[in-house]
Amino acid sequence: MKHYADGFAAVNNVSLDIEDGEFVTLVGPSGCGKSTILRMIAGLEDVSSGEVLIAGERVNEQPPRTRNLAMVFQNYALYPHLSVFENIAFPLRLSRERGKQEIRGRVEQVAKLLELTDLLDRRPSQLSGGQRQRVAMGRAMVRDARAFLFDEPLSNLDAKLRGQMRTEIGRLQRKLRFTTVYVTHDQIEAMTLGERVAVLHKGVLQQVGQPREIYECPVNLFVAGFIGSPPMNFVPATVSGGIVSLPFASVELSREARERIGGRDLVVAGIRPECFEEAHLVPSDERDQGVSFKATVDLTEWLGNVQFAYVPFEAQGAVSRQLKSLASDLGSESSRTQLTISLDAESRVRGGHPVEFWFAARRMHLFDPASGLNLTRPGQA
Amino acid sequence: MSRLLKKACFALGAAGVVGYALLPVAWILALSLKSGDDVGNQKFWPTSFTLENYRAVFASPLFTSALVNSIGISLVATTISVALSTLAAYAIARLEFPGKKAILEIALAIAMFPVVSLVGPLFDTWRSIGLYDTWLGLILPYMSFTLPLSIWVLSAFFRQIPWELEQAAQMDGATSWQAFRKVIVPIAAPGVFTAAILTFFFAWNDFVFGISLTSTDRARPVPAALAFFSGASQFQQPAVAIAAAAVVVTVPVVALVLLFQQRIVAGLTAGAVKG
Repeated sequence: MKHYADGFAAVNNVSLDIEDGEFVTLVGPSGCGKSTILRMIAGLEDVSSGEVLIAGERVNEQPPRTRNLAMVFQNYALYPHLSVFENIAFPLRLSRERGKQEIRGRVEQVAKLLELTDLLDRRPSQLSGGQRQRVAMGRAMVRDARAFLFDEPLSNLDAKLRGQMRTEIGRLQRKLRFTTVYVTHDQIEAMTLGERVAVLHKGVLQQVGQPREIYECPVNLFVAGFIGSPPMNFVPATVSGGIVSLPFASVELSREARERIGGRDLVVAGIRPECFEEAHLVPSDERDQGVSFKATVDLTEWLGNVQFAYVPFEAQGAVSRQLKSLASDLGSESSRTQLTISLDAESRVRGGHPVEFWFAARRMHLFDPASGLNLTRPGQA
Repeated sequence: MSRLLKKACFALGAAGVVGYALLPVAWILALSLKSGDDVGNQKFWPTSFTLENYRAVFASPLFTSALVNSIGISLVATTISVALSTLAAYAIARLEFPGKKAILEIALAIAMFPVVSLVGPLFDTWRSIGLYDTWLGLILPYMSFTLPLSIWVLSAFFRQIPWELEQAAQMDGATSWQAFRKVIVPIAAPGVFTAAILTFFFAWNDFVFGISLTSTDRARPVPAALAFFSGASQFQQPAVAIAAAAVVVTVPVVALVLLFQQRIVAGLTAGAVKG
C-alpha cells in the first residue's frame, strides 16, 4: 500500500492509496503534475509536505536506491555503452549479492519473457524503438522491485507500435501482477491499462476510479471533456420551469434533476457523440425517452468503422466564455461551436443536408457553469 | 576531360600543402641521419645514413635527464588536470550554484591569456617560495592553463549526456558516485581522452616555462634542453644532434596522434551532435 499527500504548487494536496498488485494510471494534460508525483514516489523529487509511504513505511528521506522501486523512463534511459545483456544486468551487478551464474540466469529469463533473447549482444543504438522499450522494461523487471513506475513510456513510439506495446504491457502486468503506477497524457492508454484511473489537472486530483466509472460518471467538466475520444460535446443551456433549453432542443427535467439544479438558470449540458442517433433509426417505443431535433450537418468524416457528423450551433453569453477557457484547458483549439455526432459507418447522412437527430434525455449530463461540477448522473436527467 | 583536370589540380594542391607542411620535418629527419662530416655538404639527403647522432644524443646526460623530466612532468600534469577537470565539469554540468556562469567565463578568459606575460612574475615568486627548478614548479603553471580548457570542453560534453541516465542508475540501486563512475565516465570517455591528449601536448611542447623556470637538468624539459645543445662543445656539429633530439621528441607525439586521431576528432566534434 502506498499513500502520500500534498506537495508544492506543482502537486497540490494529492492523496492516493495504491493496493498491492494494482495498476493505477495517472492521466492528465501536460504540466498537470503527474510526472512530478511519479518522481516523488521514486525519490527523484523532494516532497514539500506530506508523506510517501511504501508498505506502511515513510520513505521521504530515503534515496531512490533504497526504496526498491523500478522505473521506466520516457526516453528509456538505456546505457549506450553497454550491451542489452549488460543493461539488463546492471542493477544486479550493482547489488553484488548475486553470483555470475545467477545473474546470467535471471537476465536470460527476463529476456525470454520479453522476446529479447536474440538481441542480448547488441548495443541500444542498434535497436528499434519498440526493442529499446522492452529492454527498459527488462531492466526494471529483473530486480524483483516492490513496484514499477512508468513515465509515459509509449509516447516516443509511432502509433501502431504504441498500440502493440500497450497490449504487451497490460498482458505482462496481469500475468505477473506487479504493482504499477503508470503516467500518461493519452487517455486511451489510461482507460485500457488502468484498473483505476486518476485524472489530474494543474496539480489537483480531479477524480479517481475505475475507467467505466470515470467515463460514465465524470465528476466535473474537466474529467468529462478529457476522457473519451472524440470528446464530450458541451452546450450552454438555460433552465426555467423544469425545462432545460439547449440551442437546438429542449428537454424536460426529472424531479431529482430539478432538485439538484436548484435555482440555477444557466448550466452546461454535456452529451457524448455516441449518444446521438438518427431519429428514424430509433424504435418508436423508445422515442419519448429522448428528444428529437432537426439540424443541418456541416461536414461528415468517414473513417471506415465509424462516421462523424459535425453540426454547428449558436452559443452566446457568459457560459460560452467559460466553455472557451475549458477548451483551452483541455488543450483543444477549436473556435467553432459545433456538435460532434458519432454515426454508423453506413449512415446516409451527408454534409449540407438537414437531418433529424435524437438523443436520450437520461444520457445528458448537466454541469454547473461556475464550479464545473456534474449536477446529474446518467439515468437521472 | 575537365573532371580529370579537376582531379589533377586537387592532387597537385594536396601535394603542395603536404609538401609544405612536411618539408621541415623531412629536412630535420634527413639532417639527423647525416654523419658529422656530411652536414655542410649542401645536399638534402645524407650520402650515408648513420645512427650515430641518435646514439650520441642518448648518451648525453643532458638529453636523457631532460627526457625523463619531460615525460614525468607531462604525465603528472595531465593526470591531475584531467582528474580535477572531470569532477569540476561534472559539477558545472549538473548542479545549479551561484557563480556557475562566472566560473566558465573566467575559465575561458584564462585559457586565452598570453603565457609569456606570466613568466616574469612567476620567476620571482617561484624563486622566493623555492619552487624554482622543480617539477612542481612546472606542473602548476601547466595546470593553470590546461584546467580551464579541459573544464570547458568536458562540461560541454557532460551537458550532452541526458540526466535520465544517472537517474536510471539511481533507480537501479547506484549511489551518486557509482552512477558517475559506471555510467557517466564511460560515456564521456572520448571527451576525457581529448582533454587528456590536449593537456599532454601542451605540457610536452611547452618552451616558455621550461626555459625560464628551470636552471639545471633537475627539472628542465626537452624543448628547453634542446636550446642548450648549441652550447655543448663535445659535439662537432650541434645542429645534427639537435635534429636527432628533435626527431626523438616529435616521434611520440606523432605516434600518439596517429593512433588516437579518430578518438580526438570524435571528442572534438561529439559536442555538436547528439550522441
